[in-house]
Amino acid sequence: MLATYKNKRIKRSTEDYIIDFVVAIIVCFVFFVTVYPFWYCIVLSFNEGTDALRGGIYFWPRKITLENYNAVIGIDYIPTAFMVSVARTLLGTVLCVVFTGLFAFAISHKKLMGRKIYITAMIIIMYFSGGLIPQYMLYKTMGLMNSFWVYIIPNLFSAFNAVIMMNAFREIPDSLEEAAIIDGANDMRVFFQIVFPISMPTMATMALYSGVWHWNTWTDSAFFISNKSLKTLSNVMINLINQSESAAQTMVGNINQSQVTYTAMTLRPAAMIICVIPIAIVYPFLQKHFVKGVMLGSIK
Amino acid sequence: MSVINKAKEKSNYKARIKRSLRRFYAQRWLQLFAILGFVYILIFNYLPMLGIQIAFKSYKPSMGFKGMFTAPLARNYGFYHFISFLKDPNFSIVMRNTVGLSLMKLFFSFPVPILFALALNEMRHIKIKRIVQTVSYLPHFISWVIVYGILFSFLNTSNGVINSLLQSLGKEKMEFLTGKEYYYTIAVISDIWKEMGWWSIIFLAAISGIDQTQYEAAKVDGASRFRCIWSITLPNIKSTIMIVLILAIGSLIRGGMGGSNFDQSYLLGNSLNYERSVTLPYYVYEMGLAQQRFSYATAIGLFQSVISLLLVLISNYVSDKLTGSSLF
Repeated sequence: MLATYKNKRIKRSTEDYIIDFVVAIIVCFVFFVTVYPFWYCIVLSFNEGTDALRGGIYFWPRKITLENYNAVIGIDYIPTAFMVSVARTLLGTVLCVVFTGLFAFAISHKKLMGRKIYITAMIIIMYFSGGLIPQYMLYKTMGLMNSFWVYIIPNLFSAFNAVIMMNAFREIPDSLEEAAIIDGANDMRVFFQIVFPISMPTMATMALYSGVWHWNTWTDSAFFISNKSLKTLSNVMINLINQSESAAQTMVGNINQSQVTYTAMTLRPAAMIICVIPIAIVYPFLQKHFVKGVMLGSIK
Repeated sequence: MSVINKAKEKSNYKARIKRSLRRFYAQRWLQLFAILGFVYILIFNYLPMLGIQIAFKSYKPSMGFKGMFTAPLARNYGFYHFISFLKDPNFSIVMRNTVGLSLMKLFFSFPVPILFALALNEMRHIKIKRIVQTVSYLPHFISWVIVYGILFSFLNTSNGVINSLLQSLGKEKMEFLTGKEYYYTIAVISDIWKEMGWWSIIFLAAISGIDQTQYEAAKVDGASRFRCIWSITLPNIKSTIMIVLILAIGSLIRGGMGGSNFDQSYLLGNSLNYERSVTLPYYVYEMGLAQQRFSYATAIGLFQSVISLLLVLISNYVSDKLTGSSLF
């Protein structure tokens, strides 16, 4: 009995080979299709522009140069937009995690008076919202139009993150908190010195989610900001991508026009890579925790 | 007698208030945090909900925020804007694109992550499996703007990768980005490309939770690998599949699980492919912020929200009755 079982496992049937073959093809296809677009952009961004226009560059740069990156940084609005994006991402993330965290901390206590009202109010906004126009009018009334704060203030609270944090805080044993309270700490200190450090993995995940969202989002900058020096990187990228060849030549200041070798075709991927680099840097940290996040997200 | 009772009740009442106040004071810090968040939600989420009433009013942007509450009722008992949307020459185009694109995204992007998760699960090489999986969800973290940039680099007519290849094969170039006949295909494929790996995580997590003894028992009984996938893996992740399906149907109008209809309409849409690229979320933006028809745009937005909410409730109910898995 055991022998036949073992035999069966060693001897692979034709079905086994077919499945392995199909799986290998699917996996290779997914790998190529996901990686190649990024690789192609990297290759183009390091290739000389006028040379790239001749075509035929698919897997490796032909004339390697850093000029595209130089040119992108030389476009007057790119460094500003980059700084705006960095500022909104850092400030927005920290404030969102703390503000949402404090609310989640409060409603994670069963003894909290009015807890049901707070939780219901939070659940409803996950399924229903006022929509674009009433929001627009509210921001306008509050003077958030054309202000940097339109990136921060409307995104202080995230109901989705609050639910995840609340679940994390519930797992902390009550005795820890009680001990601190007896020692004379108030809830503010309990949150920052006990709850926050203990839930660090969750808080870090929330911060990374929030950060990636802040970095990527472009609609608020497009809708509520018209002042060019307050636009975010992802928003100005749209203009840059749509730029025609002829317009690209005059976009960059301080460069001798007769020596220009970059083209829109190579400027575009260089700018895109600059935009993706921050994500690529946090990616290893992101993927460490986010399986948990997506699971919780589905249960919300 | 009654006077004494009343006095007792009064003192009881007072004592209860006192107790509540004392309890409230004991948790004053927690209440402070909760009330701060609560007030924030009231201002930034519920106040705009009150603003939805301008969908039934003749509101002009010049009336300001207060005007949202004082503007006169629109004609036809307030339903003027809804009726004009139904009569809008673009109504059929917007609805066809929204429903068509969303259903196509549901039909194609929903099964793909499941198939991918099944394929990864059958992968014997653990290292390769890990690498491919890690790579596959990178696009989820990239902005739609960058995805648009990549699509532009691949599809534009002057030097895009696909058209260069077509040219070197001696074929004619194709107007991918401006030809309306390509829009649906590009939208659906880019949506799958961006979200496939991300949604496969949840299915892989469900698969890894399956009790391994089931497979061992099946193997002893002589079940083939395909049979194991069909009769053990799939039934075991059925409830996960149903929950993701509810989520996907609930966000159908916004463009399925990726919620990509607006980004795609805005970024990939242009005057040449407008007939195929305009979707409800984009139409709200176009009527509202671009054309300043605030009441009209809010009416369309409300129409969209109500359909979305109904879809969530219906799919949740049906799934609950059929399979016993539901969100709430």
